[in-house]
Amino acid sequence: MSALAHMLEDRGLPTTVLALVLPQVEKTRPPRALFVPFMLGRPVGEPNDAAFQRRVLMQALSLLERGYGAPILEHFPDDNPSWFDRADWQPAMDLPPPATPRTAADWQAALRAEMALVLPAWERFKARFGRTTTGLAGQPPEAWPAFAASFLDGALPTVALHDTSALALRFLADDLKALYGEAVQAEGGPPSARQIDGWFWRRTVAGQFLTALRAAAMVSPNNALKTVGGRFFVPTPYLPMG
Amino acid sequence: MARLEDIPEPTRTVVRDIACPSFETAPFVTGPALSRRKVAIVSSAALIRRGDKPFDFGSGEYRAVPSGWPNDEILMSHVSINFDRAGFQRDINVVYPIDRLRELAAEGVIGGVTETHYTVMGSTDPAAMTDSADAIAAALLAEGCNAVVLAPV
Repeated sequence: MSALAHMLEDRGLPTTVLALVLPQVEKTRPPRALFVPFMLGRPVGEPNDAAFQRRVLMQALSLLERGYGAPILEHFPDDNPSWFDRADWQPAMDLPPPATPRTAADWQAALRAEMALVLPAWERFKARFGRTTTGLAGQPPEAWPAFAASFLDGALPTVALHDTSALALRFLADDLKALYGEAVQAEGGPPSARQIDGWFWRRTVAGQFLTALRAAAMVSPNNALKTVGGRFFVPTPYLPMG
Repeated sequence: MARLEDIPEPTRTVVRDIACPSFETAPFVTGPALSRRKVAIVSSAALIRRGDKPFDFGSGEYRAVPSGWPNDEILMSHVSINFDRAGFQRDINVVYPIDRLRELAAEGVIGGVTETHYTVMGSTDPAAMTDSADAIAAALLAEGCNAVVLAPV
């Protein structure tokens, strides 16, 4: 973004950057930047807190009224509240401890059974927040268990929205994480991202299924699937040990 | 505190050590008071409308995000899985602060909001975005934009 700020400014547009990574903005030196000490993925800070977001935006916009002095780099002074874990947070649904299926059919059945417990909370999330960020998979949630499990048996299916099987599975993985992430937030204030991630990757069949799909993808003869599975299914902190 | 040391490895090392372009010039375009600025958002979240194809990995393309798109139609297709999406799931404004800009415009704090905003894939080498920068700048200038908020993820 800092590089793009240079490029847009060079073409006649005044810019102000919300900067999430301090070393990058210090090296790239865009004309105006506000360093925001929020986690990656939340440049405007706190969800559903218009006053907090407004403070961030106003400080960034105010840099546009300065006289020449590039590069201008200011620091936003506060962390956003939900960066911290909420001690009283509880997942919006109770799930049994995930078993460890052995076959593709067992994984499919286990995910389908777990999703039956998750989907009501997801419906409550959508009703509460008026939206869902799922929709990248190109197929509805009820199709996901069978589609994903088939990869464990070596199949390479795809869907109309995506050009390859690797992309179809990658974006199904994104949707699966999003559906669970939304469902678990159906009630109460925002948990920290760490709380959601820890719950998903340690306490759900879906998280373990994606880890199993990653292992299968990494030994696939399909190079695209190998690359996508290795890099884009499981975030680094939750990769299996060893 | 959310600082670089709080980003898990190896993402921390990647974002800290990533090669950053240097620029021989330091353009600095001035303008009127905020109350006379027409503001656009440029997001690196690879935003798409539901049903559209996601951005390709490493793509230098840009896409237009019309102001009129409903928030519940906007999805994120960024390639990286090593950043938070829970905030975006609850509230699009933590990534794409369109509602906040509309409020600021309604109150007269800023002069207005552009009809179209723009999005790119943030992990792409900026050198691949020259054509996109040309097109985004030309379109924004044509609709009278004189302030851009750049929001990474």
